[in-house]
Amino acid sequence: MEGRSPWYLAYRRLRRNRLALAAAGLFAAILVFVLAAPLWAHQVAHTTPNANHTLEKVEVDGEVREVVDREGKPVGPLWLGAGGRFFLGADGTLGRDEMVRLMYGGRISLLIGFGATLLATLLATVLGLLAGYYRGWTDATISRALDVLWSFPVTLLAIALGLALAVGGLRIGPLHLSGGSIWIPVLIIGFVYTPYMARPIRGQVLSLREQEFVEAAVAQGAGPLRVMFGELLPNLASTLIVFFALGVANNMLLEATLSFLGVGVQPPNASWGSMIGSGFELITSAPLLTVIPGAMILLTVLSVNVFGEGLRDALDPKSKVLLEAHAGTPEPQGTAV
Amino acid sequence: MRKLQAVLAVAVLTMVAIGLSSCGGSGGKEGGTLTGSYASFPELDPALSYSQEGWMAMYDTYLPLLTYKHADGEEGAEVVPALAESLPEVSNGGKTYTLTLRKGLKYSDGTPVKASDFAGTVERLFKINSPGSPFYEGIVGAERFAKTKSGGISGIKTDDATGKIEIELTQPRGTFTNELAMLFVALVPPGTPAKSLANDPPPATGPYEIAGVEPGKGWSYVRNPQWAKGNGDAIPEVPSGHVDKIAIKLVRNSATQVNEIERNQTDWMQTLVPADQYAKVKGKYEGTQFRVEHPISTYFFWMNTQKAPFDDVKVRQAVNYAVDSEALERIYAGQLTASHQILPEGMPGHKTFDLYPHDMAKAKKLFAEADPSDRKITVWTINESPNDKAGAYYAGVLGELGFGVKLKTINADNYFGIIGNLSTPDLDTGWADWLQDYPHPNDFFQPLLDGESIAPTYNTNTAQMDDPKLNAKIARLGSEELGSKQEDGYAQLDREFMEQAPLAPYGSIVTSTFVNDEIDLEKVIYNPTMGQDLTSFQFK
Repeated sequence: MEGRSPWYLAYRRLRRNRLALAAAGLFAAILVFVLAAPLWAHQVAHTTPNANHTLEKVEVDGEVREVVDREGKPVGPLWLGAGGRFFLGADGTLGRDEMVRLMYGGRISLLIGFGATLLATLLATVLGLLAGYYRGWTDATISRALDVLWSFPVTLLAIALGLALAVGGLRIGPLHLSGGSIWIPVLIIGFVYTPYMARPIRGQVLSLREQEFVEAAVAQGAGPLRVMFGELLPNLASTLIVFFALGVANNMLLEATLSFLGVGVQPPNASWGSMIGSGFELITSAPLLTVIPGAMILLTVLSVNVFGEGLRDALDPKSKVLLEAHAGTPEPQGTAV
Repeated sequence: MRKLQAVLAVAVLTMVAIGLSSCGGSGGKEGGTLTGSYASFPELDPALSYSQEGWMAMYDTYLPLLTYKHADGEEGAEVVPALAESLPEVSNGGKTYTLTLRKGLKYSDGTPVKASDFAGTVERLFKINSPGSPFYEGIVGAERFAKTKSGGISGIKTDDATGKIEIELTQPRGTFTNELAMLFVALVPPGTPAKSLANDPPPATGPYEIAGVEPGKGWSYVRNPQWAKGNGDAIPEVPSGHVDKIAIKLVRNSATQVNEIERNQTDWMQTLVPADQYAKVKGKYEGTQFRVEHPISTYFFWMNTQKAPFDDVKVRQAVNYAVDSEALERIYAGQLTASHQILPEGMPGHKTFDLYPHDMAKAKKLFAEADPSDRKITVWTINESPNDKAGAYYAGVLGELGFGVKLKTINADNYFGIIGNLSTPDLDTGWADWLQDYPHPNDFFQPLLDGESIAPTYNTNTAQMDDPKLNAKIARLGSEELGSKQEDGYAQLDREFMEQAPLAPYGSIVTSTFVNDEIDLEKVIYNPTMGQDLTSFQFK
């Protein structure tokens, strides 16, 4: 009987999960949508995401309309009435093309979501491996440091860091990020989410290091680095992949919160969160300016979450079995004395 | 039968009288709690507050020796006595001001108000580096005190027994009476700590006292108990107010503020109605709940004249040509009257002119001639709508002109502190506004453009303009009593500054009073310097 690698089996399980595949398809569509931003901006809308069109006029089906009228009201969605210009209307009194900003804003939201998760995963993996493998004072130091970070409400900590870095930016040695850089929210979100990944990874390392394959590697003369990164890390891969997928969704939501509050992505750059924030000012007269970026966040987070769940089920089917078993077992009604 | 008719007539008349009194007749109701909303949290320490929002919040709480008449329009520009018995007696060629404190005044905590408190109040300004301290540097000994922070200010002599206060200036100052009416010198008790008391405001002398501050949420007022006991009778120029309590909450979103007024959840909003709702609100409520107000103000973009690229007058002129007031009027959606000069309409000395009518081609030509080597600039703006849009528009214009622009949008609570701190990096150019401190044209030149006003913190000369010839003109005009000759001088000064183009002014704000249908709009006073007068709000 031919042997199958665990990865192949996971792939087969994933392929059978239609919901996860649909979510992956949706996410791929969103990715294509945001990657097509320059194409749409230059070939269709003929503008850039931050270009103002306050005093300009557009021709819609033979009728000339002001992008922003004298009362300060932006033009609503024109769909294809103006050849694709202002497809979703203008974003406010500055008359910027909402569709173009939505596409570029999505790139920034996804970049921050993925970038922050990558950073958090890298930091959490290194810290989790060191704490779990070495134990003792190394574990105590890392774990207490993570506890300190964990003790702050994540949104409040991120807001405080965002406010502190908004003016002067960040300077660590030769690394300098200005206050408006989109790498600032990446760093902040990655930093505040590190403990949430590092603690479970450390727990898993503590368990794995007692396994026979680790003893075998040590017996063969493998040093700590080789054991950590050559033996333990591959066994953490499925956990990391699942954490990564679910982390992206969480981090996109945190980015949206920070940008909505004005401490995430800085103007004139747009992210979906900041677009909700600026659209909220016009919620009564132009609700779509809030609803559309909100819907994009919803769809993206939903697709990433559902795919992440599917990935977890595929890579670690035992967890699903355990969950289902737990859900199907009635709670004990009492304890016999 | 006649007796019955007489009884009925008396009964009807009595009912009518009761009905009228319950309606309040033309007098309106006394008492109740006024609820209001602000979009940003103002500084609530009178020594540190330097915004109309802050002054509005403290106009009826902290009283200087003099104040502005509680009236609308031009009448509200009149300086009247507050804690002092009368307007100052000016002698010694305009260098000595003598006032006498009214008798029997007390702070809200019961501490008697003494003449020497004035000296302590002015000293506190220098101790905490108040943005208002430059107004009082002309007092003999003030400059020394500003450096040493000890030993008192020799030019202020007080006598607690008689209440006499004598202020000696180093040179005549035509604006000093106005400066004695600024909230910076609202008296505070002796021993008031030399630190910001925004979260724990000092005791009050006016009709209301601040009862509590919840940072980031709001603050509230109650009647000052000492007002009924004596202060009120002693200061007839300041009204007692109609409502018993005032609760102000912070609502960052101005659309929400409008919504809350329409639903009678809030009685009044301090902030501008959002651009997209302005026409609707004006059309629906003007005359009943909404009134347009015209504060004396100049909205502008400043350019740091001390460093490249804006140290080149051609670059600054290019920017002035590039800024289009029409676009900004659109951005403010009817809440801006465009102009292109420093002195706003309504201010003595204002003569309309425009040296830089919008011309992008000319702007680009001038920019090419200047050919600045440093083209990477930072544009600063506030996060409060619609001024944030004005900042973003300005960044776009500069980008179109050929600059590499980085836009920094700062929270409204901290904005002026950050751009007024000279140690803040990259202070190249940005948005700012100026609402009159007092109805005198000097107020639009000395704080904004006089080299002596450049300060390390709370700097108001954001363009860091320092032209010795123009400084001397400001000083000369400022030392003279305002008359038609001086007004002509200020008009000329306006033109000379615009030739140097340290600022790109774009207009004056049109603001509004918007209340719910329970408030008697006709009675609400909008003082041109202080804004809405909280003592004038009355329930119908």
